[in-house]
Parts: sequence; structure tokens; C-alpha cells
Amino acid sequence: MSPEPEPLLAASQISVRFGGLQALSDVDVEVRPGEIAGLIGPNGAGKTTMFNVLSGLITPTAGRVVLAGTDITRWPPHRRGRAGIARTFQRLELFARMTVEENLVAAWEASHRGGVFGRGRADRRRRVAEVVDLLDLGPLLARQAGELPTGQGRMVELGRALCTDPRVILLDEPGSGLDAVETARFSAVLRAVAGARHGEPAVLLVEHDMALVMDVCDRITVLDFGRRIAVGDPARIRDDPAVQAAYLGGADVA
Amino acid sequence: MSVVWSLVVLGVFAGSIYGLAAMGVVLTYKTAGVFNFAYGAIAMFCAYTYWKLHDAWHLTAWIALPLLLVVVAPVIGLLLERLFSPLSGERAEVQIVVSLGVLALLEAATPLLYGGEDRGLQPIFPRSTFRLGSLHVGWDQLGTLLVSLVLGGGLWWLLRHTRFGTATRAVVDNRDLAGIIGINGDWVRRVAWMVSSVFAALVGVLLSPSQGLDVYVLTVVVIYTFAPAVLGRLVSLPWAYAGGIVLGVVMSLLTEWSSSGTVADLEASIPYLALFVLLVVLGSRLREAGLAVRPVRSAPAPTAGARRGLGRSLAVGTPVFGALFALPLALGGPHLGDVTSGVMYAVIAVSLVVLTGWAGQISLAQFSFVGIGAFTVGHLAGTHGQTFVPAALAGMAIAVPLGLLVGLASLRLSGLYLALATMAFALLMDNLVFNRPGLTGGYTGITVPRPRLGGISFASPAAFHELVVGVLAVVVLGAALLHHGPVGRRLQILRDSPLAASTLGVNLTVTKLVTFAACGALAALGGALYGAGQRAITPADFTFSASLQLLLLVVLGGRAVLSGALLAGAVYSVQLFPLPITVIRYIPLAVAFGVIFLARQPEGTVATSAGEARRILTVLRPLPRPATVGRFDGSCPAPIGLRWAPAGTARGGAAAVAAGPGAPSAAPGTATALAGAPASVPVARATAPREVPSVT
Repeated sequence: MSPEPEPLLAASQISVRFGGLQALSDVDVEVRPGEIAGLIGPNGAGKTTMFNVLSGLITPTAGRVVLAGTDITRWPPHRRGRAGIARTFQRLELFARMTVEENLVAAWEASHRGGVFGRGRADRRRRVAEVVDLLDLGPLLARQAGELPTGQGRMVELGRALCTDPRVILLDEPGSGLDAVETARFSAVLRAVAGARHGEPAVLLVEHDMALVMDVCDRITVLDFGRRIAVGDPARIRDDPAVQAAYLGGADVA
Repeated sequence: MSVVWSLVVLGVFAGSIYGLAAMGVVLTYKTAGVFNFAYGAIAMFCAYTYWKLHDAWHLTAWIALPLLLVVVAPVIGLLLERLFSPLSGERAEVQIVVSLGVLALLEAATPLLYGGEDRGLQPIFPRSTFRLGSLHVGWDQLGTLLVSLVLGGGLWWLLRHTRFGTATRAVVDNRDLAGIIGINGDWVRRVAWMVSSVFAALVGVLLSPSQGLDVYVLTVVVIYTFAPAVLGRLVSLPWAYAGGIVLGVVMSLLTEWSSSGTVADLEASIPYLALFVLLVVLGSRLREAGLAVRPVRSAPAPTAGARRGLGRSLAVGTPVFGALFALPLALGGPHLGDVTSGVMYAVIAVSLVVLTGWAGQISLAQFSFVGIGAFTVGHLAGTHGQTFVPAALAGMAIAVPLGLLVGLASLRLSGLYLALATMAFALLMDNLVFNRPGLTGGYTGITVPRPRLGGISFASPAAFHELVVGVLAVVVLGAALLHHGPVGRRLQILRDSPLAASTLGVNLTVTKLVTFAACGALAALGGALYGAGQRAITPADFTFSASLQLLLLVVLGGRAVLSGALLAGAVYSVQLFPLPITVIRYIPLAVAFGVIFLARQPEGTVATSAGEARRILTVLRPLPRPATVGRFDGSCPAPIGLRWAPAGTARGGAAAVAAGPGAPSAAPGTATALAGAPASVPVARATAPREVPSVT
């Protein structure tokens, strides 16, 4: 094994408390350049909370979030978006009344300095065209985003994230609502996207669909009741007794 | 000490009526999710009805009052329930607009039905007083307190200790779930609306003898009670009542120091100040009713709020502006002035289209900014002899910090609460700023000169008209260009998904503040022209009612399109024309009806009529052959098989309904699940048995 590269995005010792509920306690999550990392766990394990901490929607009670050596724990969501953290949502958050193309353009403009004044139009066109090619969104460009079925909607959300030139993409259950064919296509696209530009963007995904996770992830972090119970490559996670116990409700299942 | 004590007692008496009204407002909000801006108008309408029954038709109070409370008010309540129930699940904006439309409807209909002049209303309780310690208390005051206590207590008892109360709480908690367990939510809502209307009728009848029976006064006085209602976070009846009492006491205590001047203005502003401060402080803890049961995202109509091609807008806009520029050739004198006023109004309306239609921030305070612009120009260009342009710029500059203030409120509030906060802001501006005679000339107002720009005088009606049309053309073209570019996209993504926009890198705070400031400045520019157009302005031109009328006209024209602003201006100018008096009197009524019907159509009159025309044409087309429709009887070959086990659902535990390929049946008292796992992902299902409850 080569020496471990510096993580691109690292959350360390993260704790989040909602009133009396300890949603996360002392959790570490890392995403290294070029990798697809997975974050899994039973319902209520704190996966989405961790995502919200990483994207700045929740301020953790304790712990640090570091992006490529910069402490961003106190940064608001939009600043992180500009610094290169892009995310998708479990429930689609498309700009429903815009076309797919406008969704992508708006994402580029939102994440680039001066975008709102129309600066960098040539760069914008180039990047949007690249993303459209990569995700094969061409046929959808003129469609109203709110009318798309979930599978295509997820693809557009990924495209929107890519238009921000992200360093890390956080995908919140990209497989939910997709059928087997769409899931397979999504994982193929994901592999093509991850690390395509000098190890960026790296991907962190939260997912319930184990097949997808085991298929695409290089490294998996498992949460249960707000604690990290395991981390490692898919094979190791599959065989980990603690993980099995968590998923099977603590029963001793062979 | 005794003075303070007696003021407190009088405050309790006065506050009890606010408490009654606040409970009425809270009741429909918590059961039906509708904040009734028209509450005061209902009270006013009922008071007029009582006047008609009692004073005009000479029915005794023993007949007139029951007739009002048992027939008229409940019928109004039922009508409102019918109006609002199809709107549940709509965005807050739609309900706000409809309820403001009802307010306008009642304000327009009352003079038509009962005559518009002020009336005196006989109090239902005797005017004489009795002694309470050293204090003279009117029987009417005592009566009011007792009525409000009995009704408030009765309502509280009804909601706490009866089946109806349980049903109401179930509906409030979760409308859909209550329906599933067999509670008729419609019935609960109907009763709530009726009770709320009866309270409003009482408020009207009890307040009118002291406040005077007037179309506008009661509407505004009832706004006082919005602060106590918000104190109860719009859901707590006891808090609303207590808030009303406290408000009454505070206002009563302030009378100790005030008879006129600043303190009097401050006293009148207390309810609005309280409303504004409460909203901002409670902020994020205020929830919109109905957000818990967020509607399934219905695919929006393709055109709704969509930003269409710039070319088409230009194609339509060019001839319109051409005609406006050419108008002085055909029309002169006062008629031209009426059109010019409409054009100025359109400039102001553009600021509201941008703010409300595009940025999704509802504002009931836009005319406060107009007033700032007008009075600033009046002072600088009129009194101090400055030229017009620097004066107008100064007005815009003053509007910016005020826009930021409202913008700050918008950071913590949205939808209904933002509308309430802007309303409070407008009323505060009326009372605290526009009421200063030193600033605005009081009732007589001040004069504003027509502008001179670069040695050219725009004093003549024709020249001023050309100037105003020119400004509107620039404003509309600028807005259209922004709308079709990155700025328009930025505003649109903030409406569609603020969450996604912020994670992509949009600073919501800055965007909202800039939007409010810019729209405030634009309204102030409109105000500078408005002042110059009117030549003489008074504070009455810029009250909350003016802001309300602007919103209604913009909704009528189309709040999400620039043509909506132009139409708003057109309607405004039609009102000014010397039409037959019967026509003039019906215009507000027509506007109110139009607003209620068009509330759901952000593109307003033109787009909706075009859409309807298209639909009528479609209806005339022959139908395709109807497809065969399967029935859910459990035996059909539909992909989803459902079989209800009625015995199991009625009592003794529910039987779960299983869905999946084939048609499984659910036996009473058992839960059956059938997972439809695609063959390619068996691993996932195998590892997730934890989520399947074990039911035997």
C-alpha cells in the first residue's frame, strides 16, 4: 500500500446535539482525492446529519471540518459551495420551473465569482457543454426540470453539482427512486466523474442501496446511532461483525 | 397610583375586545391554515349589517342581534370556508392574496349595499356608568368584557372538553391522518369559520359605537389584534386572549402621558411595533400552517413563472410604448394627466413585480417607499430649490436603508409572516414618519415641482408625460434584460429551491437584502415622479391602503410578468377617468373579484385569458377513445393488487395493505408485506431486515 494521501475533505470528532438527542458523537469522515467514499448506516444513524454538517446547513456542537487544509467549520453553506463542496439532496431539489439547461447555467453562475453579472460566459458555456456530454443530458436540455422523472432528475442534480467545478461532491441517496437499470447507469457515470480532473472531484455518498455502495465505493464509513462503527474497503465492511450486528438489529446472525 | 390602577382596569376592558378578535383570527388559522387578513372587514361588514337591521329597518336588538349572530355571520363563515378550502396546500402567497382580495371585496361591497357615509351605531349595552371603587365604568365596557370572557371561555371549553375539541385538535395536528381515522375535517373547518365569523360580528358590533361605523376604521383597528394573535404563534387561544388584554392595558397606560404629538403617534403605533418586533423576534419559531403536510410537488404548469423569450416581450412592448409616446398628439388636458398617472403607477408596480413576482417576497409596504421618494423630492426640489435629479437620487438613497430594514425582517420570515411584517412596517411608517407635519406637511401636505432636466422644463402635461413614459420604458427594458439574464435566474432559483441555491454558492442574505433595497429605491424613483405628477401630495397618498391597492392591482395584472405592472397602471388610470359614477363605484368590486379568481395565476389577466381561450379550443376537439379502466377489487390483473379487509380496519387493529405484483390479501389483525426487489439487487434486501417490524 502506498502512503495514504492527504484527505481532500475531512470531518473530525464531529458531534451534533438536537435538544436531548445526540445525533452524532465524535464521528470522523474522510474523503481522499479521486476516491468514491461511502457513508452508510441504518435509518437514524446520522448520515444526513453528517452531510448537513459537511455542507454547512448544520453547525456541529463540536469538531472540525477541513477542506484541503483549510478549516471551514464555521463557513456558511454558500461559501462552501464556492470553495468546491457540491451536494445533491435525498428529495430532489431541482429548480422546478426552469429548464434543465437553465438549471445547469444557474449552478455555474451561482458558484463562480461575478456569475450573477454575466462574467465568464465563455467558460460557462464550455463547462455546461462538458457536463451535458458527460451525463448525456442533451435530449433533456429544453425540458422543464419539475416534470422530469426521478431518475433523470437525479442525473440533472449531479450535473448541476458538476457545473460548480466541485472538489468534493456529496450525494445524498442518489440511488433512491431509481430502478435497477438507472442505478447501474448512475454508478457507471459516477465512476467516470470521480477523480476525472487530477483527483478531483472526490465523491462521498450516502446510500441505502448496498449493491450500489459495494459496487462503486473505494472506502466505506459505517455509522450507527451517531457513532462510527467501522471504516474500510467494501470487502472488509461486508465481513465486519459490528456492521452485520448493526444492520441485523444486534442479533447474532451467521 | 390610583390613576395607574384605573387605567389598568380600563385597559383590561378595552383589551378584552382585542382578545376576542385575536381568538377569531387564531381559530381559522389553526384549523384551516388560513390567516384571515379580512377579519376586520368582516367585523365592519357585520356592523353595517347590524346597522341596517337595527337602525334602518328598526328591528329591535332582540331580533337584529340574533339574526346577525345566528344567520348572517355563520353564512359569511361558510362562504369563506368554501372559498378557502380548495386553496389548502397552495403556497402561502395564494392564500394571502385571496384573503386580501376578500378584504377589498368587503370594503368595496359595503358602500354599495349600505351606502358609504359614516354612521352612528347604537351600542347594544346601555351607555350609563356605574362606580367601581373610585372609577366610573360604562355598562358597555363591562358587557364587552363579559361577552369576551364568556365566548373565549366557552370556546376554550369546547376545544378542551368535547368531542368537537378532540376532532379539532386531530385536524390541527394532521389533517390527512384525522381524515383517515374518520374525522370529518371539512366539518371541523366549517364550524371554525362560523365561530370565527360570529366573533368578528361581535367585535364589529361592540367596537363600532366607540370607533364610529366606517368602512376603513374597523378594518385597521382589527389589525391591532394581529400582534396578540402572533404572540400566541397563531395557534394558542389563551395566549391570543391574554395578549389582547396586555395590549389594551399598555395602550391605556400610554394615554396617561399623551394627548397629542409624538407620544400619541407612538401610542397608536404600539400594536404595529409589537407586531413587527414579535415577528422578527419569534422569527424561525413561527411555522407556516400546512407546511408539515407539504403538498406533493405538482408539476408546475410549463408557463407558470417561466421566463419566456426576450424577443416576444420586445415585440409586444414596442407598439405599446410607441402608442404611449404618441398619446399627447391625440389626447390633451386632464385625460392625458390621468394616463400619465397610470404610467407612473406602472413604474411603481414594476418594483413590486420584481420583489413579489420574481423574488417571491410579498410586500405590503411598497407605497411607504413611494412616499419616501415623493416627500424627499418635495422638500429638496420644492422647498430648498434643488434640481429634480439629485432630489430623486436622494429619495432613492433614503429608501435603501429602509429597504434593508424590511430585508432584514425577510431573512427571518417568509410567506405569511413576511406579509404581516411588511404590513406592520407600512403602518409604522404611516404613524411615525408620514404623520409628522414637519416632514410631510400633515393634512395639507406639500407641493412638488415638475422637473427641469438639463435646461428643459417638463412642466407642461405633454412634456411631463413623455418624461414619465421614457422612465417607464427604461425601467421595463432594464428589468426585462435583468430578468432574462443571470439576475433573473438568480431570483428564480431562490424561489424554486433556496436550499439548493445556497449550497451551490448563492449568498441568500446578500441577495435578499440587495433585492429589497433595489426594489425600495425603484419605488422611491416612482414616488419622485408621482409627487411631480400630482404636484401636491399628502400623507394619505402613501398609506398602507395604497400599498394594499398596489398589490391587488399587480396581482390582477400578473405579479410575475412585466405586463402585469403595465396592466396595473392601466387599471389605475381608468379609475381616474371621469366615468359615470355607477361604473366608478363598481371598479373596486370588479378588481377584488378579479384578484380572488386570479390569485393562483402569477401571470395574471392576459396569460390566463389566453390560456382559457386555448382550453376552450381544446375542449372542442374530438376525444380519443377512452382506455379501459381497471377496478381495485383485488382480483383484477392490475400491476398493483389491493384488497381491503373492512372488518379489520373498522376495529380491532388495522390490516396492512400489501402492494406488489400479484394480488395478495391482508387478513384482519395481521401485517403482510411484499417487497418488490428487482432481481439484480438481492444484497441490499438481505441486509435490511431490521426495518421490517415483526408482527404476528
